[in-house]
Amino acid sequence: VTSNLKPATLLLVGVNHTTAPVDVRERLAISPARLADATRTLAHQPGIREALILSTCNRVEFLVSHDDEQQAPTETLPHFLHDYFAVSPDSLTPHLYEFREREAVRHLFRVASSLDSMVVGEPQILGQVKQSWNVAREVGAIGSSAASASSLDPLLQRAFSVAKRVRSETQIGSSSVSIASVAVDLARKIFGSLSGKTVLIVGAGKMADLAARHLIQQGAKTLLVSNRTELRAQTIADALRTPAITTGVIPFDQLHAESHRADIVITSTGASSSGEPQVFTPHQAREILQRRRNRPMFFIDIAVPRDVDPAVNKVEGCFVYDIDDLQQVAAQNQASRGLEAQAAETIVSREVDRYHQRLGSAPAVEAIKQLQLSAEALRQQELARTAARLSAEPLTPAQQAAVDALTRSLTAKLLHPQLTALRTPPDPAEPD
Amino acid sequence: MSLLWLRVAVLLYGIAALAVLPAALYNRPRWRHIAVPAALAAAFFHFVSLAETFYAAHRALPVGSHETLSVLALLLAVAFLLLAARYRTVAFGIFLLPIAVLLTLVPAFHAGRETLAYPLAGPAWIFLHVALLLAAYAALLISLLASVLYLIQERSLKSKQTGPSRFRLPPLETIDQIALRSLLLGLPCMTAGLLIGSVVALETTGPAFFADPKVLLSLAMWAAYCLMIFIRQHSGLRGRRAVYLSSFAFVFVLAVWAANQLSAVHRFTAP
Repeated sequence: VTSNLKPATLLLVGVNHTTAPVDVRERLAISPARLADATRTLAHQPGIREALILSTCNRVEFLVSHDDEQQAPTETLPHFLHDYFAVSPDSLTPHLYEFREREAVRHLFRVASSLDSMVVGEPQILGQVKQSWNVAREVGAIGSSAASASSLDPLLQRAFSVAKRVRSETQIGSSSVSIASVAVDLARKIFGSLSGKTVLIVGAGKMADLAARHLIQQGAKTLLVSNRTELRAQTIADALRTPAITTGVIPFDQLHAESHRADIVITSTGASSSGEPQVFTPHQAREILQRRRNRPMFFIDIAVPRDVDPAVNKVEGCFVYDIDDLQQVAAQNQASRGLEAQAAETIVSREVDRYHQRLGSAPAVEAIKQLQLSAEALRQQELARTAARLSAEPLTPAQQAAVDALTRSLTAKLLHPQLTALRTPPDPAEPD
Repeated sequence: MSLLWLRVAVLLYGIAALAVLPAALYNRPRWRHIAVPAALAAAFFHFVSLAETFYAAHRALPVGSHETLSVLALLLAVAFLLLAARYRTVAFGIFLLPIAVLLTLVPAFHAGRETLAYPLAGPAWIFLHVALLLAAYAALLISLLASVLYLIQERSLKSKQTGPSRFRLPPLETIDQIALRSLLLGLPCMTAGLLIGSVVALETTGPAFFADPKVLLSLAMWAAYCLMIFIRQHSGLRGRRAVYLSSFAFVFVLAVWAANQLSAVHRFTAP
C-alpha cells in the first residue's frame, strides 16, 4: 500500500520592521484591495502549489508550499517580487529573510502569536493573518484541508490555535503599553465600565485629545472642555463631538465650581511654567470631592510642568497620574510582556514539535487506513462468496454474527504485525 | 451519611480556597475554572449534608454552635458564588472560602451532639428568624471584606504600583457597589429576623426576654447597622473610614454571638 500524500515543501520569505526600513516595506506593501490579485498571481507561479501573502504595516511575508524541494520557489519568488512590485532583486535581497520547513512553521506560529510584532502581544496580527488566509482560500491559493491534500490550510489552522493558546495561557496581551491605553486601563480599575462617565479636558494638546478619544471609545458619554481661550475650547469640543457623545464647554474661571461633574480630568495646560499656580490643589480637590459626595475622581496630568499638585493624590478618593507615572506603568507592562513572551516561546516550540510529529505520522496514518479498507473489502468479498456454500438455507442472525466475528478476528490477527510496523516511528539511526 | 457529605464539602472548599489564590492574585483563568466549580460542588454537598441532618432530627433549624456555623459557612460559600457570577470576580474567595473551610472543619470532624431542650413554638418562624439573621451576618461580613478590598485597591492605585503581576481586584466602584448592596440586603434580613424573634419571644417568654443581654446587644447591633447605612448613604463614605465603620458594626455581631454564653433565655440546647 502506498500513500498518495506527498508532503509539500514549505518556504517563507519576507521583510519586517527589524530587517527592512519603512521605504523598503512600503514598496512591497499590498493594500487589502490588491491582496486577492497578488495572492492569485503568486499561486500561479511555476512550481508553487499553495500561497499566502501577509501584508501589514510592519511586515510583508510570502508563504508558499511547492512540490519539489529542488525546484522553483527560490528563483520564482524574487522574479515574482520583481515583476509584481517592480522592485529590483538586488535592492531587496539584503532585507529579505527566508525560512524553510520547520523554521517556516516556527516563524508563522510566532507571527500569529504576536511574538514577532513590533509591540509584542498586540492583538491585531492574528486577525490580519486570518484575513490573508481567507483571501487565499477565496482565490483558491489555499485548498481546504478536508477536500484536498492542502498543507497550508492545516498549518494555518494550527497557527491560529497556537496563537489562541498563547493568549489564554500567558498574560502576553493583558496589559497596555501605550500612554493613552494605560490611562484607559487605570480609569477602568477605578470606575469599572466607563459607560456613562464624564471626561473633562483642561487645556489643549495632542496627548490629551488622544487620551480623551480612547476614553470615549471605551464608553465615556459626556465630554467637557475648559480652556483659557473659550473659542479654542469650543473648537476642541466640536472636533470630538459625535452623535453618541454630549459635549460642553466650561469657562476657565468656573473650572473649580464645575469640575465635580467630571469623573476623569485630563489636564495639559502647563500653566505653572508661566508662573501661574497649579490648576488643581489639594484644597480644591477636597472641595470638588465633597461636592461629588466622595465618589472617586481620576486626574490624568499630561502637562509639563504639572497642572495638578502631586499632593492631590493624598486626598482620599483622588487618583493623580502624571506623564511619568503613566510612562512607568507602560514600561512595567512592557517588561511583563517580555517575561510572558518567554513562556509563549516555550509553547510555540512545543507546538512546532507536535506539528512536525503529526506531519511525520500522516503518511503512516493514510497507509493504515488503506490497508484496513483493502482487508475489509476482501473480507466482505469472501464472506459473500462463502455464504452460499455454507447452507442451502439463509444463515440465522446468530450464525451470521458468529461467522462475522470469526472473519473479523482472523483479519485483525493477520493485519496486526503490519499495522504495528506502520505505527512504530522509524528509527532515525537506521539507513533507508 | 450527612457527615460524609460534609467532609466531602470541606475537602472541596479546601481545593477551592487553594485554587482561588492564583486565580485572584495572578489572574490565572485556569485556576478560576477549578475554584468556582469546586466551590459550587462543595456548596451542593454542604446543602445535602445539612438537609440530611435536619431531616433525620425532624427539625428545620440548626441547634448548637456547630450547626449554626455550618449554615453560616454555606451562606458565605453561596455569597462567593453569587459574586463570582454577577461581578466576574473571585477575589472575595481569598477570604470567604478559607472562612467556609474553618467554619465547617469542626462540625465535619467533631459532630455536635446538641438537641433541642424543648419543642419550640412556631418552628417555621424560628427557622426564618435564624436564617434571616445568619444572612444578615453574612452580608455584614461581605461588606467588611469589600471595604478591606477597596482599601487595598485604593492603596495600590495611589502607590502607582499597578503592574500586571499585582493583586487583581475588581474596580473600586464595583467593590463599593458590593459593599453597599450587601449592607442594603442585610438590613431587611436583620430587621425581619429580629422582629420575628421578638414576636415569638413575647408570646413564649414575655417582656422579661428583653432584659436579656443577648437581646439588648442584638438591638444595639441593629441600631449600629442602621447608623452605618445612613452614614454611608448620606456622605458617600468610602476607603479607610468605611473599614472602620464596618469593623465597628462587626464587633457588635461578635458581641451578640458571644452573648449567647451569658444569655439565660436565648438557650435552646439540652444540657
